Amino acid sequence: MFTAIGLTHYLLLAAMLFCIGLWVMASKRNAIGVLIGVELILNASNINLLAFARYSTGGMNGHLIALFVIVLAAAEAAIAIAIVVNLYKNFMSVDVDKAATMKN
Amino acid sequence: MDAGQQISGLLIIGAVVPLLMFVLLAFLGPRLGKPFASFPAIFGILVSFGCAALALQRWWYVLTDDERVEAAASAYSWPWVVLGDIPIRFGVQLDSLTIAMYFMVTLVSSCIFIFSRGYMSGHSDEVDGVSKYHRFFAYLSLFAFSMLGLVISDSLLFLFIFWELVGLCSYLLIGYYFDRKYASNAAIKAFVVNRVGDFGFIIGLGLVALFLKDLSIGGAIAAFQSQSSGETGLFARDTAINLFGWYVRGDIVATLMGVFLFCGCIGKSAQVPLQVWLPDAMAGPTPVSALIHAATMVAAGVYLVARIFPLLTPGAQAVVAMVGGVTLILAALMAIVQTDIKKALAYSTLSQLGYMVFGMGMGAWVGALFHLITHAFFKAMLFLGSGQVIEGCHHEQDMRKMGGLWRKMPVTAFTFLVGVLAISGVGWPGKNTTPFFGLGGYYSKDEILAVAWFQTYGLSAASDGHHAGNFRERATDPLTNAHGYDSVILAGYSAEEGQHQTAHAGLETASGLKSDASLQPWIPKWLVWLAIITAWITPFYMMRVWWLTFMGKPRDEPVYHHAHESPGMYIPLVILAIGTFAASWFLFRGLIVDAAQHVAHISKLVVPLDGHEHLIHAFSGPALNKLVWPAFIVGFIAAFFIYRRGLKLAERIIDLPVVEQFYWILWQKFYFDEAYNKLVLAGTILFSRICGWFDKWVVDFVLVEGCARVVKGLAFFSGQRLDAGGIDQVAENLGRTAFRIGDLFRAVQTGRIRNYVIYTAATLAVVISVMVWW
Repeated sequence: MFTAIGLTHYLLLAAMLFCIGLWVMASKRNAIGVLIGVELILNASNINLLAFARYSTGGMNGHLIALFVIVLAAAEAAIAIAIVVNLYKNFMSVDVDKAATMKN
Repeated sequence: MDAGQQISGLLIIGAVVPLLMFVLLAFLGPRLGKPFASFPAIFGILVSFGCAALALQRWWYVLTDDERVEAAASAYSWPWVVLGDIPIRFGVQLDSLTIAMYFMVTLVSSCIFIFSRGYMSGHSDEVDGVSKYHRFFAYLSLFAFSMLGLVISDSLLFLFIFWELVGLCSYLLIGYYFDRKYASNAAIKAFVVNRVGDFGFIIGLGLVALFLKDLSIGGAIAAFQSQSSGETGLFARDTAINLFGWYVRGDIVATLMGVFLFCGCIGKSAQVPLQVWLPDAMAGPTPVSALIHAATMVAAGVYLVARIFPLLTPGAQAVVAMVGGVTLILAALMAIVQTDIKKALAYSTLSQLGYMVFGMGMGAWVGALFHLITHAFFKAMLFLGSGQVIEGCHHEQDMRKMGGLWRKMPVTAFTFLVGVLAISGVGWPGKNTTPFFGLGGYYSKDEILAVAWFQTYGLSAASDGHHAGNFRERATDPLTNAHGYDSVILAGYSAEEGQHQTAHAGLETASGLKSDASLQPWIPKWLVWLAIITAWITPFYMMRVWWLTFMGKPRDEPVYHHAHESPGMYIPLVILAIGTFAASWFLFRGLIVDAAQHVAHISKLVVPLDGHEHLIHAFSGPALNKLVWPAFIVGFIAAFFIYRRGLKLAERIIDLPVVEQFYWILWQKFYFDEAYNKLVLAGTILFSRICGWFDKWVVDFVLVEGCARVVKGLAFFSGQRLDAGGIDQVAENLGRTAFRIGDLFRAVQTGRIRNYVIYTAATLAVVISVMVWW
């Protein structure tokens, strides 16, 4: 059962992480919570990239892309938090369900 | 500068000077005023007459026969334009006929211009306070230019141009008193009736250009000769010509061409059925009637036929003869009943023109043109005499109010009598064929009759063998054959013209006339009898005019009381009277015979020429001496007995039962005007009504209104049914469908981020599932 850890384990971990992130994004009404879900999904993809880089293709490409993803996630977080601040300014709340005024 | 250039130059100068005078009078005429405006015109025509006299002197008395041929070839000729492949040149047709006509026109014109100066001064001619006197002389000068141009043109096209110009001058001068309704009507009538003839003429010109490819007279004749000789030419019997899609026999096209060209003559020379304009044209001033409607312009038709004579086929020539024959007798009959002195002279002009055309049709080329010349002199004189009478009697034209005027105007009466004698053909036959004494018509009219008689009875008599001996004798006579005319003319009736010109061949063809007499069957025998009967009528009506005017007792005292004559006006009469004598005896016949020789070499239809005329005289002379010669005696005596005591006897004759009806027919001019009113005018009105009806009901109602209704219906259909019902519904439904689809998708757009995340994830799951398990 506890054989050597291979690609499958990493992919399972990434899938689990992805599903948790998705669940967080779909269930949390708090904008910050949604952001955390996004971060989880990004990290799940990072794990995938690194796992494939380690077991499938070899080389440093996967690592480099993972690094880019981290940087992008940081930038995304900065922008997203700025949006959240503006959201709060407009609605006096960070509940994303309340920010549905563009409907209709 | 050789003789041809000199003479043709003189002719051109003589034609252009009156044109310059016309321009001068057109611009300066009003300033010159009443007596002076006539002087440039008279000066111009006298210059023309001088040129004509010089040209005549050089041509006829200096040059020999051979030199004349050379001179004719070197006459001035300038290229004008090239139409397609037809070059048009303006040149001088230099031959004896041109010289004779030119001299006659200038001489008669000079007399009439001088007469006009006196005649027109006595007329009040002011319209709105402005005198028209200068206009009269401007028009006369323009007419002189046009007429002289017509005579010298060597191209049918230029002849046509001048032809129209003289027609214009005729119109302007008939309508000189345009403020009077009848004069302007007469002018319009003359112009319109002439258009009918000219329409035919221009069609003929078109056919000449189409088939002969040459509009110069000489060139067209040469082309015609080459096309109609042999069996392969364009005008041969067996050739089929495509005439606007119809295939017509070549010789029929040639005949049509001749007849269409002759249409111009029918209009201009006022032949039946277009004769109606000439009597009405007497509404113009009397000198105009003398110059244009008696002496020169109306004779231009005969001149045209003389020029195109070699283009006439036997069929076309028969048409010419018949038109002339019918005209001459109808006009003579109508002349009997006229009471207006000018109208009576107009009908006699018609009759004499009929004689000329008839003569042309009978092949009496020389006789017809000779008659043209003599007629020009005596008819101009008669008209000027009537003008003198009208002027002297204060514009009284009705002969019933005249009478006994000879005491008041002896010179006029005498010169008028000379004209009456000339037109009646007074003469005394001498021994053999040379007349002892004769005047005017005695030579010219009787020559026409002699040729016509010969054509009708001479040829058949010769072929019957009755007179064949006479022909043989002539044909074998080396003297006559030295001229070559006999055999040319006799051989001309056979197909082999020109091949055998020897005496022997002449004999053969003369005896073979019966089978080859191509001309004879075309011309009916009764035509010559019309001409002979008219020769009996002419002296009667002319003596009637003279007697009613000058002899007997005055029937209207005021008219008689005022009557006078003046030398300024009777001197031209005397000159013309002398001219009548001279023209009968000297010069002109020789000139015309000289011209005829060239025509006779080309056309086989010309009959009388020197050398040959003995033959005709020998045949026709005895017969005509019995048939025609006593006519003037009988006519004069009849007129004398009827009219010597005024109009009473004549009125009693008119009241006789049959005569009365006949008189009415004549008085109504054979109902020609009525017929034209009924046919042409009523036809035009009827046609206009039909057009109006067509316009109202077919064009307006069916087409315009119908179209409008159809369009309206279509618009309604397309607007209300098609557009509103169909297209709009489609568009609206499209919009509605788009709305519904939009609503459908809008339902998905909840605006909740969490929902979107689920959609995205679900879509991703579906996509991945499909990619994995498909």
